[in-house]
Formats: sequence, C-alpha cells, structure tokens
Amino acid sequence: MSIEQGTFVQKYDLLGCIQCGRCTGGCPVTVRTELNVRKFVNDTIEDDRLEELSEKPEIWDCTTCNTCALRCPKGLDPFEVLLGLRSMRAEEGNIQPTARDALESMFNNGNPWGKPAARRVDWMEGIEGVEKVRILEPGEKADVLIHICCTAAYDPRIMPLAKNLVRVMEAAGVDYGFIGVEEKHCGSEARRLGEEGLFEYFDEENTELFGRFDVNRLVCLSPHCMNTFKNEYQNLNLPVMHYTELVAELIEDKKLELKNEIAAPVVFHDPCYLGKKNNIFDEPRYILSQMPGVEPLEFLRSRERSLCCEGGGGKMWVESESKEQRLAETRIMDAKDLGAKIVAVSCPFCLLTLEDALKVKGLEEEMRVADILELLGEAM
Amino acid sequence: MSDIFVLAEHRQDELREVTLEMLTMAGGLGSPVTAVLFGSGVNDFADKCASFADKVIYVDDPTYENFNSAAYQAALVELIKAEKPGLVLIGNTGQGADLAPSLAVELDLPYSSDIIAVTIENDKPVATRQYYGGKIDGRIEFKDADTYVLAIREAATPAGEGGKSGEIVKTDNPVTTEITVKRFLEYVEAAIGEVDITQSTALVAVGRGIREDKNMPIMEELAQAMGADLAASRAVVDAGWLPQDRQVGISGKTVKPKLYLAVGISGAFQHVTGIKGADLVVAINKDPDAPIFQYADYGIVDDLFKVVPALTDKLKGMKG
Amino acid sequence: MNVVVCVKQVPDTSDPDTEVHIDSSGRDVERSKFSFVINDADNYAVEEAILLKEKHGGEVTVVNIGPETANQVIRMALAKGGDKAIRLEDEKFEFSDAVCTARLLASAIKDIEYDIVMTGCIATDDGYTATGVALGQVLGLPHAAYVKSVEVVEEGKLKVGRELEGGIMEMLEIQTPCVLTIQTGINEPRYASFKGIRAASKKEIKLMDLAATGLSEDEAGEAGSKSVMVQYSVPEVGELAEMLEGDAAETSGKLAGILKEKGLV
Ligand SMILES: Cc1cc2nc3c(=O)[nH]c(=O)nc-3n(C[C@H](O)[C@H](O)[C@H](O)COP(=O)(O)OP(=O)(O)OC[C@H]3O[C@@H](n4cnc5c(N)ncnc54)[C@H](O)[C@@H]3O)c2cc1C
Ligand code: SF4
Ligand code: SF4
Repeated sequence: MSIEQGTFVQKYDLLGCIQCGRCTGGCPVTVRTELNVRKFVNDTIEDDRLEELSEKPEIWDCTTCNTCALRCPKGLDPFEVLLGLRSMRAEEGNIQPTARDALESMFNNGNPWGKPAARRVDWMEGIEGVEKVRILEPGEKADVLIHICCTAAYDPRIMPLAKNLVRVMEAAGVDYGFIGVEEKHCGSEARRLGEEGLFEYFDEENTELFGRFDVNRLVCLSPHCMNTFKNEYQNLNLPVMHYTELVAELIEDKKLELKNEIAAPVVFHDPCYLGKKNNIFDEPRYILSQMPGVEPLEFLRSRERSLCCEGGGGKMWVESESKEQRLAETRIMDAKDLGAKIVAVSCPFCLLTLEDALKVKGLEEEMRVADILELLGEAM
Repeated sequence: MSDIFVLAEHRQDELREVTLEMLTMAGGLGSPVTAVLFGSGVNDFADKCASFADKVIYVDDPTYENFNSAAYQAALVELIKAEKPGLVLIGNTGQGADLAPSLAVELDLPYSSDIIAVTIENDKPVATRQYYGGKIDGRIEFKDADTYVLAIREAATPAGEGGKSGEIVKTDNPVTTEITVKRFLEYVEAAIGEVDITQSTALVAVGRGIREDKNMPIMEELAQAMGADLAASRAVVDAGWLPQDRQVGISGKTVKPKLYLAVGISGAFQHVTGIKGADLVVAINKDPDAPIFQYADYGIVDDLFKVVPALTDKLKGMKG
Repeated sequence: MNVVVCVKQVPDTSDPDTEVHIDSSGRDVERSKFSFVINDADNYAVEEAILLKEKHGGEVTVVNIGPETANQVIRMALAKGGDKAIRLEDEKFEFSDAVCTARLLASAIKDIEYDIVMTGCIATDDGYTATGVALGQVLGLPHAAYVKSVEVVEEGKLKVGRELEGGIMEMLEIQTPCVLTIQTGINEPRYASFKGIRAASKKEIKLMDLAATGLSEDEAGEAGSKSVMVQYSVPEVGELAEMLEGDAAETSGKLAGILKEKGLV
C-alpha cells in the first residue's frame, strides 16, 4: 500500500497519546503473547516504520476485545492501529493461508466458512414446533428483521442457537422475518482481518439488502454482527439490537414465559462485543434471572473488566504461536472455582472457544457452556 | 479389435503395480494383450509382464533406464505406427499423465484420461471416468479410429493372478536420434522429519481420544503399518503431542489425502473443514453420535485402544 | 521471463455439504446452487507465474476459456500481478474434450511472446490431468506435468521437479519455451485484496470467439473432440458412514480388507 505522509497519525489520532500505558496494562493477551499495543501506538507515528511494523506477527494476536479503548484516558482506540497494520498486509496479499481462505470465501460465498451461499438456510429445517420459518419478500412488512450470523447458519454446533431464536420469536408472537439465502456476512471479521475494501463492499451490499424490507428493527444473533451494523456501517438507518435486548423486552412484557427449571449455579461470561463494546451488560443477566432455578454467580472479572475469550478479531482464522494457556481456559478455571455448573454466553464465538477450553480441561462431566438461547430453549 | 498395448511402468528398480492392473484389465477385453516395456536390463520385469500378457515387446536400451516422457513418446509413436494396436493403455500416474495426452495429440488419436472402467462395445472402447471429485460418473464414447489411447487410474481394478506365459520379443530401440528437450537428472526423496501433510496420500489423524502423550506410539505404529503420515486435531497439537504443522482444520492445514483415518476425533466443524478434500474418510470413535461419522465413509464405534492395535496387526499381517 | 498462465473457473464442490446433481440433459450438472472459484491447481500456477515475474521480470498473461462470470477469476489473477488477459468464449466450445481444449488455448497463446506456459495439473470438475500436456504437443513444445518446483538454470533452460507417487520428486532439465502443469503445494498463493480486484477490473480482458481463434467449427467443441462424455450417472455411495460391526478383531479385519481392496495400503 502506498503510505502517505501522516496516514496513521491522523487516522488514529496518534499524537493524542500520552504514552501512559493503560492500554497495554489492561490488554488480556499480554499474558500469552508479545503484543504491546502502547508501543505500536508510539511507533506507528513514524511512517517509514509502518512496513516493518506490519510484519510483526503479534499484530495478529489482538482479539479486538476493546479493553484498551475503554481504558485509554485520551479516548483513543489503540487496537485500531493494529487493524491498520493488518490491512497493509491484506492489501499486499501477504496474510496467513487460513485468513486468506476465510476472506476468499467471504468474497465468493458470502460467509467465511467455505460453505455454499445456497445452503445458508439449511438450518431452518426441523425446528421443534415450527412448520415454516418466515422469509420476507422484498417490500414485505415486519416488526423485526433477524440477521443470522454465518457461524450459526453453517456450524452444526451453533445452529441450535438460530433454531431456538425462531422458537422464541414464535412463542412470543413476534412479527419477525428472515432474509433467506441472500443473507450475507456482516463484514465484521473481514474488517478485523484487515480487509477494509471487502468490509466496505459488505457495508454497501447489506445496506441495500436490508433496505428492501419494510421493517422497524434489525435483530442480530451475534454481537459481532450487531456491532458492525450498528457502529461501523455508513448509511444504515435501521435500529440494530442484539437478541438479548429483544428477549429481555419480551420477558418484561410477559410475552415469553419461562417455566422449566434450570436448577444450577450459572455464571455469565460477557462477550466483548456485547459488553465492553456496546454496553449491554444487564439484559443477559436479566434473562438468566428470570429462568426458574438459576442461581446467578458473577466472575471476579465481569462486565467492563470481563476477560476476553479470544474468539473475536479474526482469531477464528489466525492461531497464536503462544503455547501459554488460552484465556478461555483461564476463564473456565475461574468458573470452576466459583462453583458454576453452567457458563452462559450470548455469542457464537464465545460458545466455541469456551466449550473447547472446557474440553481441554477435561471438565465436560462437571460443567457445561451454553448460549442463553439454548437455556431459553430448555426453560420455555 | 486388434491388439491392446499396455505400457509397463517402472521406477527405481520396481515394476509399478498399475502395470499389472492394466494388463489384468486388458485381459478382460477379449483381444490379445501386448505389454510394452522400455527399460535397461529389466529382464525380470519382462518376465513378470509375460505372466500377464500374450506378448511382451521389450526395448532394452540405456535410454530408458529412467523415465523421460519425450523419449517414451518418440518410441511409442514408432511402435504404434508399426504395430497398429486397437487400444493403448497407459497409467494415469506421475509418469503416464506426463506422456499419454501428448502422445495422443501427436498421433491424432482419441484420448481420455483417469479412466476407472473400460468395456468394448461395437468394436470400440467405452470408458467410465469420474467427475466432481467422484461425485458423478461419466460415460465416455469415442469417435471412430484405428487406435484409442486411454490413461487408466491406479488401483481402478485389482491386479489378477497372472498365469500366462506370453512371448517376450526383444526389439531394437525404434528411436535413434538423441532426445535433448528434456533430460532426467535424479530422484529426490522427501527428507524425513519434514512431512507436509497437505501433500500426504494417507493420513492417520489423532484426536483427544488418545488421552496421553505416552499412548502416541500405538498411533505411530498404525501409521507406519499403513504407510501413512500422522496428523492431529488441534486438541492434540495444543497438548504438544504433535507439532503444529500436523494440525488439520481451519486454523491448521487443509488436507486432501486419498485416505483419512480419524481416530478419537469428535469431528468438530473446525476440524472437518480441513478434510473436505479427502477421498475416503474412516473414523474410529467410541461415541456412536460423534459428528465425525457424518463425514466418514466407514466407521467403527469402539474403543480405539482395542481397535488400533488390532488393525496394526492385521495390516502388518497382510504385508508380511 | 514471460509467462502465460491458463486458468479455469470451476464450481466449488470441495465442501462436503455441496451436492452435485445431474441436470435434465444428463450431460451437465445443476449449476444454480454452486459458487464458482478458480480451479485449485490453477491458483498455484498463477502464483508461480507471478513469483517468476517478480524474480526475473517480464509479463504474465492470463488465458481463460469460460463465460463472462469467469472474469472474476481472471481479475483475481490480474490483481495478484497479472498484466494481460484473454478470455475465449463461444457456444461452439461446449463439450470440448481435453485435447480440443488444448487446441483452443493454443490458438490464443500462439501469438503471445512467452518462455513458459503454465496450467494447473488437474481441474477439480473434470479431473482430466491432460489439458496442459496436450497443450504442449499442440504448441510443439516440451512439457512437464505435476511440477512442484521450478528453477531457472540459464537462458533457455529450467530445472523442474515433478511430483510422483509416494512423495518422490523427479528432477529434470527442460528447454524453454515449454509447458508446465503445476501441482498444488508448489507455493503458497497470495490473497487478492478486494481493492486489488476492483482496480484490476479496469484492465482489458481481450475476448476471442471461434472466428478469432482461426479454427473451424469442426475443430472446436463436441465436433472437434474425439472423446465425448455422453451421459452422467450417480455412482453408488452411502450417505452416512457405513458402520463396521463386531468386536475389535472383526472390525479391524473388515477395515484392513476394505483398505486393501481400495489399494490404500
Ligand atoms: C477458533 C477455533 C479454531 C479451531 N481450529 C481448529 C483446527 O484448526 N483444528 C482442529 O482440529 N480443531 C480446531 N478447533 C477446535 C475444535 O472446535 C475441537 O475442539 C477440536 O477439533 C476437538 O478435537 P478432538 O476431536 O481431538 O477432541 P474432542 O472433541 O474432545 O473429541 C475426542 C473424541 O475422542 C473420542 N474418544 C475418547 N476416548 C476414546 C477412546 N478410548 N476410543 C475411541 N474414541 C475415543 C470421544 O468420543 C470424542 O469424540 C478450533 C476451535 C476454535 C474455537
Ligand atoms: S483490543 Fe484487547 S487484545 Fe487488542 S490490544 Fe486492545 S486490549 Fe489487547
Ligand atoms: S492508553 Fe491511550 S493514551 Fe495511554 S498509552 Fe494507550 S493509547 Fe496512549
């Protein structure tokens, strides 16, 4: 990429930085990788060092958990500098093969998983008590348009979340609808893997796509999609919500009844993109509190201080070289120490990473990881 | 139909099995079978071919010590012109695929490749080959010609018992000019210890079901008995039981072996994404509901610690 | 070092969830549900061509036979570093066999100045492993198939490694100009960024129809092919894994037998 004078300085307001180090101090991945985000904020001031800095492997260790941004006294988004460096790599085509394949699949198939676009709605088959999932026609009216994350659409482990969301919508009598096979990747992970151009493409495509329907709001299954639609799309004039916000509303309005016991100590793990990034802390906790039998627990590090699971920021496709314990494993051990039987999440990536960590620790018999949608499915 | 020519294939002092497979296949087509052998001092190969053919044309010349498609092609052109066989079978192998298409073009003959079955209908060959990675079969018919050239997939038919005693006709090298466009240099074997699993033809993949590092030797023995390389799920790599470069899956390697034997692997989506290019998947897992069975062609629901040693023994027995 | 690289657009059928169905004609498959990608081996050929250009200078020309949608594959190759592109399209090219395809490619390549022509060694749809080698003969050039390494020894001469069964490499010297069919794994193909593809869409893709190739109607398509795929059929395979029953001694015996029968051990 051609680097113009002062690109990073202006784009990321680098001169605002006072080098206090609060960003690095709070960065969760420092315990297992070389990443020092403060230093990158400092060093990228020099344009002629950008090329060299972009080649450092640790720029790929950032999970974009947003902790550094929350802690920065000057209101900077330090990790965005790392994404800027990643984009230099992506533009040169010089990225890890796993990331390359994910990006190529986004471009070709509209999802990062190498799955055919035509099979995007296969998950809609066989939902308990639901004859036919409603797919909206262009121009059709509905209260809620639901966007299903690519991972929920294709990963059999996550599909039950999507199915349960449909069951919840039906049970609560929500006027909802889906996009169908034309639904596409939100672009969030494209951007985090450094593919700005591809992200902009999804921004345009999806904005046009959503505009075809006469709906009041867009509800997302994944906090990652929600965040992107809500905060990063240029011209999307549609209120965007996470499913936990809608479900909390439905329970409050007594439209959704939870009657089955989930008798267990449950600890909620705040997904970074829901909590730290979008300040949605209370809705998931409220939903859990309304499930009969749930004994709510809290992590020591919760809400704004919640520990990242390392599932975001494109990390699904870029493995850290570190051999140190994964943060997800730390999280699971913390949950075990608390005496939790269920680690509740509300994000497909958190579910995958934490469940994997649970298995690494050999705790499958003692505990489980479940998305709130799965627990809702059981409690309904 | 007139005679069927089968090109004998050999490399590094071994007659390759595909030769016998093709001779067996040709033997079932109702025409006399001639093995065509280019080599240097390989009388034993000529004898072996003779036990599967009605005739062996053996060109014994130093030119053919190692394979060179240009040299083979020049000689075959002369032989085919002189003998006018009805059908020429060549292996669709590293050697044959480097030779058969250009040979057919030079002689302007009908050609098709990677054939898995051949029949003769109305005095002409009809061939079956696969499309879309084996998801579809296609029937190939040919326009009329005196000779047809087919490249046959390895292991398409098993080699028979032989039992013929064809005449061995030693023939002078039909080519007298020197081949200069292409020159054989040497064979290079892959260095031990740097296996690239993306290129392996057979993989034994180990999952968390192996439980402990100290159990790994049973997997190594199995891999050895199968002539396969070891691969792993991330669980095993994470544990440090195999190096990172053996990891299969979205954050590891995408592999495309002919055989993928998954042992103690649950079949997480992140893992199976990496084996979508595998031809045959076999899974051993004690959980009958393990998703890996949805991706496998064959499955064994049992304790790997029972099945793996038994399988190793069986395979060793077959070889020895 | 001028390189011509032939690329094909194929349906992405690598995913186990992708179903391939025969269409009503019996001679093609239902294409509406596919996504289309560059043929895997061709992707490595593109990378190898660009690596050679980066090292030795020269130009890379991308040649394709395909419909307009194949422009996407061409543009990706241009975005990675290709300089020129030619696409051949004509209804009369339909049902060309490998030899005939080689003849069509040759008609476009013959007027280009080049040292090496590269193709992938196999296509994931038809699996011919034949087009590149046939192309060499049509052009009257030496060729090497399944190439896993390329090195320029001196002007007019390459040292190439061909991958044979069992991971053995056959090293040989070959004169240029020549045709190489590239095996996957020879390099690590780079990523074509979205912006790069957008920029590449400004480059011209020269179009050639049958008339432009200078070939006659009976030299192209089914008429020009001596082998013809007349009918697709569905091979018999089970959906779920076939479970081998019995105790460990029985199941392992059955499995060993199957592997042996399939020639896998
Ligand atoms: C971001 C991310 C990226 C990932 N990338 C990859 C990747 O690239 N590759 C990868 O492999 N994984 C990856 N994973 C992890 C993946 O989700 C799975 O956790 C992992 O593949 C599980 O490995 P496994 O099958 O060996 O272990 P498990 O899922 O624990 O399965 C072990 C299996 O062994 C069986 N078993 C146990 N004992 C026996 C016995 N005695 N006999 C027979 N069977 C037995 C069990 O029934 C079980 O099915 C990734 C996960 C995440 C979140
Ligand atoms: S976003 Fe999170 S992981 Fe990335 S630099 Fe900031 S604190 Fe560290
Ligand atoms: S926290 Fe903000 S001000 Fe402090 S070093 Fe980091 S980027 Fe600079």
